[in-house]
Amino acid sequence: MGRYGRTVILIGVIVILVGLILGFQTISIADFQRGADTPLGLSLGLDLQGGGHLVYQAELTDSVTGEPLEVTPDKMESLKRTIERRVNGAGLGEPIIQILGADRLLVQLPGVGDLARAKEIIGETASLEFKRREILVPRDVTEITAEEIVGVTIGYFPEPDPVPSEGGATSTDATPEPQTAEAESSKQVFALVEFTEDGAADFAAIFQKHFAEFVAFQNAQVTGGNAPPPGFLDVTLEGPEQLRMPEVFPFSIQQVATSTTFGIAIPGASPTGEPPILEDVTARVGENPSIFFTEIQGSVDEPIGLTGDDLSRAFPGQHTASGQPIVNLEFNDQGTRIFGELTQDIIAKEQATGVRDQIAIFLDNQELVSPEVRSAITAGTAIIEGNFTIERVQNIALLLEGGRLPVDIVLIQERDVDAILGADSLAKSVVAGIVGLALVLTFMTLYYRLPGLAASIALVIYAALVLAIFKILPVTLTLSGVAALILSIGMAVDANILIFERMKDELRAGRTLLMSINIGFDRAWPAIRDGNVSTLITCAILFWFADQLGASIVQGFAVTLAIGVAISMFTAITVSRTLLRFLATTRATRATRVWLPSGGSEIPQMASD
Amino acid sequence: MNFVGVRGWFYLISLLVIVPGVVFLAIAPGLRPGIDFTGGSTLTLDFETSVNQSDLREELAGLGHPEATVQKLGDDTYFIRTKELNSEEKSALTDGLEARLSPDGLTELSFDLVSPVVASETVINAIYAVIAAAVGIFIYVWWAFRNVPSPFRYGAAAIVALIHDTVIVIGLFAILGVLLEIEVGTMFLIALLTVIGYSVNDTIVVFDRIRENVTIHPNRELSEVVNLSISETIGRSLNTSLTLMVTLLALYLFGGTTIREFLLVLLIGVVAGTYSSIAVASQVLISWEYGDIPWLFGRGRRQRAAAA
Repeated sequence: MGRYGRTVILIGVIVILVGLILGFQTISIADFQRGADTPLGLSLGLDLQGGGHLVYQAELTDSVTGEPLEVTPDKMESLKRTIERRVNGAGLGEPIIQILGADRLLVQLPGVGDLARAKEIIGETASLEFKRREILVPRDVTEITAEEIVGVTIGYFPEPDPVPSEGGATSTDATPEPQTAEAESSKQVFALVEFTEDGAADFAAIFQKHFAEFVAFQNAQVTGGNAPPPGFLDVTLEGPEQLRMPEVFPFSIQQVATSTTFGIAIPGASPTGEPPILEDVTARVGENPSIFFTEIQGSVDEPIGLTGDDLSRAFPGQHTASGQPIVNLEFNDQGTRIFGELTQDIIAKEQATGVRDQIAIFLDNQELVSPEVRSAITAGTAIIEGNFTIERVQNIALLLEGGRLPVDIVLIQERDVDAILGADSLAKSVVAGIVGLALVLTFMTLYYRLPGLAASIALVIYAALVLAIFKILPVTLTLSGVAALILSIGMAVDANILIFERMKDELRAGRTLLMSINIGFDRAWPAIRDGNVSTLITCAILFWFADQLGASIVQGFAVTLAIGVAISMFTAITVSRTLLRFLATTRATRATRVWLPSGGSEIPQMASD
Repeated sequence: MNFVGVRGWFYLISLLVIVPGVVFLAIAPGLRPGIDFTGGSTLTLDFETSVNQSDLREELAGLGHPEATVQKLGDDTYFIRTKELNSEEKSALTDGLEARLSPDGLTELSFDLVSPVVASETVINAIYAVIAAAVGIFIYVWWAFRNVPSPFRYGAAAIVALIHDTVIVIGLFAILGVLLEIEVGTMFLIALLTVIGYSVNDTIVVFDRIRENVTIHPNRELSEVVNLSISETIGRSLNTSLTLMVTLLALYLFGGTTIREFLLVLLIGVVAGTYSSIAVASQVLISWEYGDIPWLFGRGRRQRAAAA
């Protein structure tokens, strides 16, 4: 009983573990993170969730001169990092990027909808760009004349809630009503500006322009695109005192529903940014101050035709005088010319207007650094200095150098699957899997009776165990993997059939039930082992074959089948056997017919234990 | 039943299946290679507007793709194969089709691109993979049967059965290629390798019985032992292949169209594999032992009489 007992415990532990692994959608133990928002939290391949599979080949000959190019492992590694950064920076999900062989790169983009954009981002060749950032001068807003402003009131912004408040006034009133102290403290104080029709239209146009610019700028920050810094309004209120509100955030301007009145939130004067108290504001500017607007138009980035191609070197260094970390830049001839002209222009403008423009450096459309220009630089070497750490300087230099892909690449293989098709395939696979398994279980139970039932239970444990292992490792389940999984169920069934046929022979030869079970398993084992080992050999060869090509569907199939076959040997031998032995010790022993396949009525006799 | 005695008939049946396939394979176009083997692009498009196949062909030709082939997958869902398309060419094609055929829009369900370089590598790698698999299995079987007289023959017989099954599958696909325009791709290759795995698996079960019975009855004729072993394993062989076929059929009916080709190969392969383990692999052992083909093997003639 000792060994047998241990096996029962082992099976029990496995079943519980499998239940826990599959039961929780996600598993997170310290650094060990598994699971996703998928059926049973399994990781799904591109063909089941949609996405793109791209294989790039590094150019081995120069496209212009036809000279052979050297593609070193270092270059491939740097190519991989550059593309990784581009894909991540563009918010294209979690890419899987892998070097294949000596000169190929596999990029997998699971669940990415816009593959055309992804390909564009990956394939960009010269992505380092220098732009002139023109800083624009503030201007008075002349569109809105004093006549167009009807009046200004300091108060709370009317709330949209139409329910009359305690005071009996409706909250849609433009004029705020006294509220309880508690409500007051949580409210924002506004300058409510009432315009004429024309004035309102002018004001709306300006603040909506700023609002749109701000949204575009924010989106650009998220997606790695490029947008100029947004414009702002400087608002000044004047009563007994002057209250200047620089750079009013576009979100803090609101229009009172269907009226020509706009509310401009007054920011808190305290360092903590707490909303100001109404009385404090009215004490300074009175209840009806006059108002002035100034527009700060931000800046505009202008392409100047200077790219990474014009930069010959970028390396970290130290400022000779201050010892501060700096980035050294060296341009080639064309770069020197363009850079010289640019810096001369900027200095000329500074002398004329007093505004100093910047040079914004973009890497893959993300701003890397935007230094001011202090002098005209015509020698082709420049330094970027600032309050940089050594790490930051090294990083900038590295990014500047790696701005262009270290090798040119060509797309040689692509497999895109739409998410809808993926979801459809997944649903069909699940149905096919359940139907397939159900048919097998029905057949086994009807034909082999009690042993068949035991095998069916073992098969269910088998299927769950395989899925649990897929989740833990994790193995990415692809469509071909599903096929392999179902095939491996077929092979697991075969192991059971082999055992039962042997058992039947032993029972017919007049052996006891327990002996028949043991001998049946022992006799069937060599065939199961050799058959499965030959399948494993095929899997290993398939895996190697797929590895050469980055054929993920083939690889998925091989891995899935190999795991399936390996686990099937374990369940057939351990789980089925233990279950049968357990059944053999119960009353089921007496009903000899249930131990033999259908139609197997010719047993001579059954010796009891 | 005397399985060994009717081996001539077994060989004949195999030939009857193999020969037409080989003939179809030999005459053009033979096996229809998909883009995985030739290079090119395929698109699966789902049209919002109802579109018929001949209009689609016409429009494709009008858009500069007279080489395009079109297959209907479902209601207004089509599988289009063209030459290798780059991003611009692809958008030109889909935009063109959308404008001309489906003003309500279309969805690109899948897109594949394989360059000719990759395609030719796939073919070479596929050949290597099949040879490597065969060699690996041969060596393993040889080793697994090391305690039986002439273990080498078991390995060789398993390989003969394996080649037999492979040729049947490829031949039938050549016929299907001509009749139904079915193309073969990477999935076909995987399926073929799976069939190889299954075929060997099945052969080994019969061989395992022979191995056991040879040890139990050292004095019996090999023909008798093989016959006994086949009789003892035929129940299992039929049950296993039936179960597997039922599972595959379920997959075929309920699974997506994407893996149909794969499942068809497996279905044919399972039948061929089960048949070959009984009617080819085991019989090759006998033919070798008794010198059925003396000019090929050149020995064993002495026991020929005993085989009859």
